[in-house]
Amino acid sequence: MTDPQADAAALATLVAVARRLDAAARIVPAADDALLSAVVATATVVLDAQAASIAVHDPIGDRLVFVASAGPSSGDVVGLDIDAAAGIAGYAFTTGQQLAVADVAADPRFDRSVADATGYVPGSILATPLVDAEGTVGVLEILDRRGGTFTLRDLEVAGALAREATIVLRTRRHAGDAAALLRGALVALAAGDRGETGPSGLDEAAIDALVSDATSGLSTDPDDPTWRLADQIARMREVDPDSVGLVADWLDVLLRRRGADSRRPGS
Amino acid sequence: MDAAVPAWSEAFASGSAGRLVRDGPLGRLSRDEVFGDADGAGVVVAVIDSGVDADHPAVLGHVARRLRVDVDGDAVRVVDDESAGDLVGHGTACAGIIAGIAPAARLVSIRVLGADNRGKGRAVAAAVDWAIEEGIEVVNLSLSSRSEAMFGVFHDLADRAYFANVLLVCAANNVPGPSYPSLFAAVLSVAAHDIADPDVWFYNPSPPVEFGAFGVDVDVPWRDGGRIRATGNSFAAPHLAGQAARLRSRHPAATPFEVKALLAATANPTP
Repeated sequence: MTDPQADAAALATLVAVARRLDAAARIVPAADDALLSAVVATATVVLDAQAASIAVHDPIGDRLVFVASAGPSSGDVVGLDIDAAAGIAGYAFTTGQQLAVADVAADPRFDRSVADATGYVPGSILATPLVDAEGTVGVLEILDRRGGTFTLRDLEVAGALAREATIVLRTRRHAGDAAALLRGALVALAAGDRGETGPSGLDEAAIDALVSDATSGLSTDPDDPTWRLADQIARMREVDPDSVGLVADWLDVLLRRRGADSRRPGS
Repeated sequence: MDAAVPAWSEAFASGSAGRLVRDGPLGRLSRDEVFGDADGAGVVVAVIDSGVDADHPAVLGHVARRLRVDVDGDAVRVVDDESAGDLVGHGTACAGIIAGIAPAARLVSIRVLGADNRGKGRAVAAAVDWAIEEGIEVVNLSLSSRSEAMFGVFHDLADRAYFANVLLVCAANNVPGPSYPSLFAAVLSVAAHDIADPDVWFYNPSPPVEFGAFGVDVDVPWRDGGRIRATGNSFAAPHLAGQAARLRSRHPAATPFEVKALLAATANPTP
């Protein structure tokens, strides 16, 4: 048997953690996306290549989904997905083996699914698997090296960049796992061990509302003033990080004043 | 593993080959004496990969048998399938390199990639197990497993192959991390060098990768009768699988360690 009071306290703590994580994610948005973009941009500069992209494996659909790219048509490739077992990228992903090929544009048998979607047909491709001790998470593709074919040094550099991208993606996956775990814990605690109703007598609809509220923010309404504030803080961090401290001081004053007001008789 | 570990090909890159200098017990042996005019006759080489396009002009008449690995839940089976063509082009490339070096060797393609098994470690392990049971002389493995769970399985397979005189020739990975069985001592591991000559190979006395062979911008047969220029350790391994087939055809009783010793003693001196 569980202690309903302890459950309620744990529930309140988890809700607070979820809200804080959600607010933090809003205020420092998608740092991992920026890192992945930096990796592909670096790849094009260091390897003197026309374009580069990173595709991540989606285990549910068993597809490789492009999440970052640099070079011509780079905006078009992000969001595209390809067969995880086909083509040069698929080979690198399924075998964990780095592979470069040239003359693909001249070969009518080249898998053109991505080329057709973006209008960019590469002449040469270097595909490097994104691997670590836990497995393979995706592929780094570098396209069209200027002034010749890919060299041994290029393979090494691509391997080092792939390692960086892998760390970013693994961290993102762990963050996703942590969010899923948090959600699971919230559901379990809210439901208690009695199935339909929890320790505080919540029915399923109430549990859903609670979990949704805790894991997707204070409000699902993007126009909620709280999120407007979070977004403003996020923007402020970009243009003037010093002012964030000033705003925090203002908020302190505001909240202290509000606390004083609420203690005043008749308020 | 240490993030600073260099890519394995670095040992064989132009300019860094000085570290390969070594005064081995066999000294340098003459290739003419060791290989003669051996062409791989009487030797079977298995290509565990994406399948082989047996009608490709580069391998036409060389492919004796084609199989595929089926993974169905816990069951893994190796079955004959003469229609098991090449899903990528990679297996045909490896087969073409071997056929070019050891033209009289008979090739057996075991396809481990595909919609169902996706090159899973279990599929590769089943293919290696089959090759051991069949007593295949040389096995080219231009792929490996990164699953820690497969460490023990591949370690046992590598030892079994070694004692059964089945030589596993494995492409090393160019990125650090687990890679089975390519980094086991019982196999012949290969990384790429960039000297455009299929007859140039180096021995590296600093493991884990023991041999370097041509693997940069190699003109290889590809899917559907085409050709492509490809780079990777994948294309270095079959160069030495071909040479190993020649050795086994001239010295049928040679064991894996003797083949490795002869390949080391006939390796090119460092540039």
